[in-house]
Amino acid sequence: MNQPADLAYVGLVLVSHSRRLVEGLAELVGQVAGPDVTIQAIGGAADGSLGTDPDRVLEALQAAAHEPGAIVLMDLGSSVLAVSAALESLSDEQRARLTVADAPLVEGAVAAGVLASTGADLGEVAQAAEEARDARKL
Amino acid sequence: MPASSDPPANQAEPHLSRDRQRVPGGEGLPGEVTLAVTLPASVALHARPAADLVRAASRLPVPVTIAANGKRANARSILDVLALGAVGGSELTLSASGLGADEAVRALAEVIAGLG
Repeated sequence: MNQPADLAYVGLVLVSHSRRLVEGLAELVGQVAGPDVTIQAIGGAADGSLGTDPDRVLEALQAAAHEPGAIVLMDLGSSVLAVSAALESLSDEQRARLTVADAPLVEGAVAAGVLASTGADLGEVAQAAEEARDARKL
Repeated sequence: MPASSDPPANQAEPHLSRDRQRVPGGEGLPGEVTLAVTLPASVALHARPAADLVRAASRLPVPVTIAANGKRANARSILDVLALGAVGGSELTLSASGLGADEAVRALAEVIAGLG
């Protein structure tokens, strides 16, 4: 059975106050997760300064809200507001396809990306992202 | 990922130590199996190689633990594996237990030998 790659693999939506930060992270996660995992990197205000752009957050969530779903990761708690506002604009069906992970952005995205590349489902990928909270690196 | 039953003739058989124990209530279940394997000299366990290893480990029937540099990692956890900081040429000790443990560590050793 041939399926487009993005129907078989959970995607990632990365939200940061900084475009450069999130684009760099997307590059890193892309390398470990491989080409099958769709990664959307949203960062910075509309004028390019630090902040969040609600329109782009909404666009990204809408694009990601299809089977098999996507994990949303944020840099700081202050991004939660932007993500929540966007989620409110979605349908129940769209919202059901997205899980916002309470996890560190870099480690959560790497863990989620690699697990997503194995074909794991939304719940499993979300769990991997949240386990990143306890991961030690030293 | 099935392990090959015949290792290449020019490679020494990896040392597989087996600690067979009778598990109470579990007739015939093997105890922990360990296997030492060396990372290729040019391959440090970072980014893509680590991810390849983790993906392979996720397909194995039992969890495998990797020990290196005095640290232990769940082979299915990318963050764990990255934290090993294993450089090229370093020795990794794989361990697993339960049904399929032998095949699992051998299969993962093969993957490790082929990383790069």
